[in-house]
Amino acid sequence: MPDVSSGGICLAIEGLTKRFGGFCALNELDLEVAQGHIHALIGPNGAGKTTFLNLLTGVLSADAGKITFNGQPVDDSRPFRRTVRGIARTFQNIRLFPHLTVLETVMIGEHCRAFPSVWAAFTKAVLQRPFGECSEERQMREHATELLKFLGLADRREARASDLPYGEQRKLEMARALATQPKLLLLDEPAAGMNPRETVELDGVITRIRERGVTIILVEHDMRLVMGISDCVTVLNFGTKIADGPPERIQEDPAVIEAYLGEEVPL
Amino acid sequence: MLDWMDGYTRVLLVFAGINVIAAYSFYVPYKTGQVSLGQAGFMAVGAYSSAILTQKFGVPFAVALASGGLIAAVTGVAVGFPALRIKGVYLLLLTLGFSEIISVIALSWDYVGGAQGFRNISFNPWTLEYVAGVIVVLLLLFSRLERSSLGRAMDAIHQNETAAEVMGIDVVRIKLLSFGLGAAIAGLAGGLYAHHATYMDSTTFNVMLSVEILVFVVVGGGSTFWGPLLGAAVLNAIPEILRALRDWLELLPVEWTDFYPINRAYDLLHDFLDFENAKRLIAYGLILMVMMIVRPDGLLTRDGLLRLRLPRWKTRYA
Repeated sequence: MPDVSSGGICLAIEGLTKRFGGFCALNELDLEVAQGHIHALIGPNGAGKTTFLNLLTGVLSADAGKITFNGQPVDDSRPFRRTVRGIARTFQNIRLFPHLTVLETVMIGEHCRAFPSVWAAFTKAVLQRPFGECSEERQMREHATELLKFLGLADRREARASDLPYGEQRKLEMARALATQPKLLLLDEPAAGMNPRETVELDGVITRIRERGVTIILVEHDMRLVMGISDCVTVLNFGTKIADGPPERIQEDPAVIEAYLGEEVPL
Repeated sequence: MLDWMDGYTRVLLVFAGINVIAAYSFYVPYKTGQVSLGQAGFMAVGAYSSAILTQKFGVPFAVALASGGLIAAVTGVAVGFPALRIKGVYLLLLTLGFSEIISVIALSWDYVGGAQGFRNISFNPWTLEYVAGVIVVLLLLFSRLERSSLGRAMDAIHQNETAAEVMGIDVVRIKLLSFGLGAAIAGLAGGLYAHHATYMDSTTFNVMLSVEILVFVVVGGGSTFWGPLLGAAVLNAIPEILRALRDWLELLPVEWTDFYPINRAYDLLHDFLDFENAKRLIAYGLILMVMMIVRPDGLLTRDGLLRLRLPRWKTRYA
């Protein structure tokens, strides 16, 4: 296990609840994510993992519960404000902008850092400099290029996002999320649909992102990946937390084994 | 005033130019994925407000035109608020309903002439120059927008709204801005029209006009700012080209065509080239159907223009 000196609590969740009609997708979840950790969130299908990410990013609104991020309560309703505060994510079903190039896609992530408001973006980009490129634009391009190099996509930057192979689209989603300069990065099944070689490469990518000082919440089904790089694992089943702890302990936890394999029946 | 141009050409260019501006009013909200069938309604708001200002209050034309655009913009933001949450066919219906409301107000409000129409609006002899000026400013604005971060954010919203919002783009404000800007441009087009035609009534800015505006952008292509210009230009030029062909046909000596079966073919062709309004609308319908099958993204697309780029430019940042 990589040894990470944690500098406190990055994210604290208390009693987070989400119901869809009569179905309780997430039931009074309590969770703490330490600064600089890779915190994995696992569980069978329908356990509430993606719902949890949607609540964190504001795509869905919670029915009850409190989210504290870096010591500040998170209560803004609009997802983009949470991104501005430093929570970024990737999507399980890839959501890229099909007609933008790779470089442009990453620059979308930079937008909220370069321009504090829509009006600033409008006046800076359109009115003040009728010809040529403003300094913000140049800076965004440099940052984006650096990020693409970091993720090994530099030679694809003029390609259309939708023309990339699947694995590279996943990496591009990460680059776009990193471009928003997050303190907390939520990865929603980054290894889904990747071949074993790409998954091994992903190990390194995620570890290197952590080395940049980004706390990571990893939702994943690939147990080799999860157990290999996580500092802490939380297991959900039917919207409830059934186990919490370092990966070695989780692997031996009877409740987890039961959730995944079913109860042992004496013969 | 451009004196070398004959009156007919001038009128033709004025209406083509107003159509180009109207096409741009559709293009701006469309850039963020908002399809509006109410642009004629915003034109009406701009036209009536500017005409009221010049006729009833004696405001100079330029000031009235700008105020008309501004009032249309405010209306646009007001309509844009409820439009934020809805998409696709529902947004079409909302904007359609809005333009019907405007038309009913124009019909029943006696202050602006009611059913008799708004008459004796002061004629602006410089309309062509104004139209050209507005188009140049719009082209500068859009060329800058297309290469700016804000323009990219608009494209991103069009292509995947949820992803754009989660990546820190203020989707609500940008959509409102583009809807308001589109309404302002429509208001300018309306003001220019009113002070050129000098007469308008509740049917001048009807649904068919909104549909025509949509067709301009669909034919030209909505993914690049050259598309609306091309679409409006081409569709305004077609009737004129046909008319010129017909004039040329009439110049042929009679003895060349006055025998069977050439005379029948001549008559058919002659009738076909008589491009009156009903035929124009049929043609628009057909063009729309063919375009949807053959080139759903329009004649010009952003990807197509990228392919046209010089290699040197393409590798500029590589």
